[in-house]
Amino acid sequence: MATQQGSASAAALANQDIHQDTTVKWFLLGAVGYFAIVGIIALIIAAKFVWPQFLGTIPYFTYGRMRPLHVNGMLFGWLLAADMGLAYYFVPRLCGVKLWSEKLGVATSILWNIIIISAIFTLLGGYQKGFEYADLPTPVAVLVVIAWVMFGFNIFATILTRKYNQMYVSTWYLMGTILWTAFVYLTGNFATLLPGITGVNQANLNWMYTHNAVGLIFTPAGLAVAYYFIPRASNSPLYSHKLSMIGFWSLAFVYVWTGAHHMLHGPISQWLQTISIVFSVMLLIPVWAVVYNFIATMKGQWHQLGDNVSLKFLMSGTIFYLLTCFQGPMHSLRSVNAIVSKTDWIPGHAHMAVLGTFSFLAMAGVYYVIPRIFKTTLHSESLANWSFWLFLIGGLGMFTALWLGGFWQGWQWNNPSIPFIDTVVALQPVWMVRFLSGIIIFLGIVLFMFNIVSTAISGGRNASEATARS
Amino acid sequence: MLGKTDKNASWFVVAALGLFFIGGLLTTVAPPLLDKSWSKPFENHDPAKGPTGKLVAYTDQEMRGYRIYIREGCKYCHTQQTRTLLSDTKRSGWKGVDSPVSTPDEFVYDWRQTFGTKRTGPDLSRIGGKYNKQWHKAHFNNPRDLVPGSIMPPFPWIANNPQELDDLVAYLQTRGRAKDWRPDNDYEQ
Repeated sequence: MATQQGSASAAALANQDIHQDTTVKWFLLGAVGYFAIVGIIALIIAAKFVWPQFLGTIPYFTYGRMRPLHVNGMLFGWLLAADMGLAYYFVPRLCGVKLWSEKLGVATSILWNIIIISAIFTLLGGYQKGFEYADLPTPVAVLVVIAWVMFGFNIFATILTRKYNQMYVSTWYLMGTILWTAFVYLTGNFATLLPGITGVNQANLNWMYTHNAVGLIFTPAGLAVAYYFIPRASNSPLYSHKLSMIGFWSLAFVYVWTGAHHMLHGPISQWLQTISIVFSVMLLIPVWAVVYNFIATMKGQWHQLGDNVSLKFLMSGTIFYLLTCFQGPMHSLRSVNAIVSKTDWIPGHAHMAVLGTFSFLAMAGVYYVIPRIFKTTLHSESLANWSFWLFLIGGLGMFTALWLGGFWQGWQWNNPSIPFIDTVVALQPVWMVRFLSGIIIFLGIVLFMFNIVSTAISGGRNASEATARS
Repeated sequence: MLGKTDKNASWFVVAALGLFFIGGLLTTVAPPLLDKSWSKPFENHDPAKGPTGKLVAYTDQEMRGYRIYIREGCKYCHTQQTRTLLSDTKRSGWKGVDSPVSTPDEFVYDWRQTFGTKRTGPDLSRIGGKYNKQWHKAHFNNPRDLVPGSIMPPFPWIANNPQELDDLVAYLQTRGRAKDWRPDNDYEQ
């Protein structure tokens, strides 16, 4: 018994030592940096709603060029890069082997940085391609495809050399992300450009991509992160393997049908709208399966929330996931859609998904991983706790202001005797609250970045001192 | 079959892509084959069947204006769809005439779809012919001079560039014109 335990802990020790985690460091530190840079862009465009002349006469800083930079910068520069960095961390550990190639991983990170910097210049320069979420000009989109193939190859090669036969649910979600993203990205960025693809046909392909960018890229990548870090951070086993399978395979089948719900009441075939509504409502199945599994895993462990920042982010992210994925199916009902569609409610909903859910899950992972890979402790638990509350309060302020304002706006639009400009003026207080909430969120980002960078620096210093001593 | 997927990566790949492609193909490739109005340009000469008119391809100048519309990200604040909602047909209307709803056959020549997801400013699907070039020039220079309370950004680099202004206005005047929907035919050039 004693020897068994001894060999198990020796194996665990060996398992710790095999990971270099260079790629993880590159991806996560880059992602955290872009989070702050693009956070400034976010504040500027929020300010433009309140002071429309602000930076208004400079073409490079006009709203219509900065908004796609905000969206693409947050989605690809911060969130996807963070999810990729975390994947480079947990896939080798779940497989019990080293990452297939650290060199390939670092090369992927360098290419990713080239992509994001090109995005900044091309989008502000007015070279946007013209599709929402697929705004990056074609040469940059080609680089994204190359980087994605490099990432996918490295991850799949690691999985194929795994020591443990059974693959954990995070591994499935990540494999799903890699496979689906390939086709979803090609559809939105390249199929839309094929000759003869115009108008409604092109819009339908665009929505297939836009919707599934969230549903089949950020959702499975974020759930992979949550499925790994919730049991890790709470030190408790996942509640149900079967439930995770139900959640995964229903997501795989249901999500892709729903793109046309972005054109409800619009010029697109009625039957296609109805199909998208039916499948949108069915999305409740994978969502509730996942959320139940997360909540049940925490049974008897809730007291840990008090002093565990990662767990705070993970559990608030889970609650936001439940809420945002309740809103989504409800918006797709024609009667609700007639009020909220195209209003400020929708950015409220979108930010709860991308910031409240998936960025919270990614930040939980970053807070957990960074001290471990730099072999040190987090620079400040108390600052991390502050960052959580700033994100939560700023986020809730922004979401609720936009929901209330958007609902009111939709109600006014449906009364044609109110001139349109009056519905714009009426929203001014809402946009002011959104801007102030944005400042609170941005302070959260700054604390988060400061804490992560300080941890990395002190970890690096410890390592060089250790080398000097030996 | 799904039971094997957590131990066998090949089974996993087949199942994950198979399920994805059922919905993917049926909602992207099938619809344009089933609904011809997505690819057949609008044309109607019979007043009994609603608005008359014909969709024509863009001229070179309109196309240049279209590219400016995309370059400046106008679609992030302006939708171009009069939806099947009574209030949309009233708001897209002009001088007491309600607008017809937008149909797929009006957009067949659209090189970049501009339906939009957010309506921060008014819908532009029927903006064609409502305002003349002088109005647009003043409005692009500073929207608040004409519409107090507006939050549209100023576009002096377009207003003060005669070529770009002509191109962009030419594009805007095409919006909604295919359906000759105003009985007095009072379209501004």
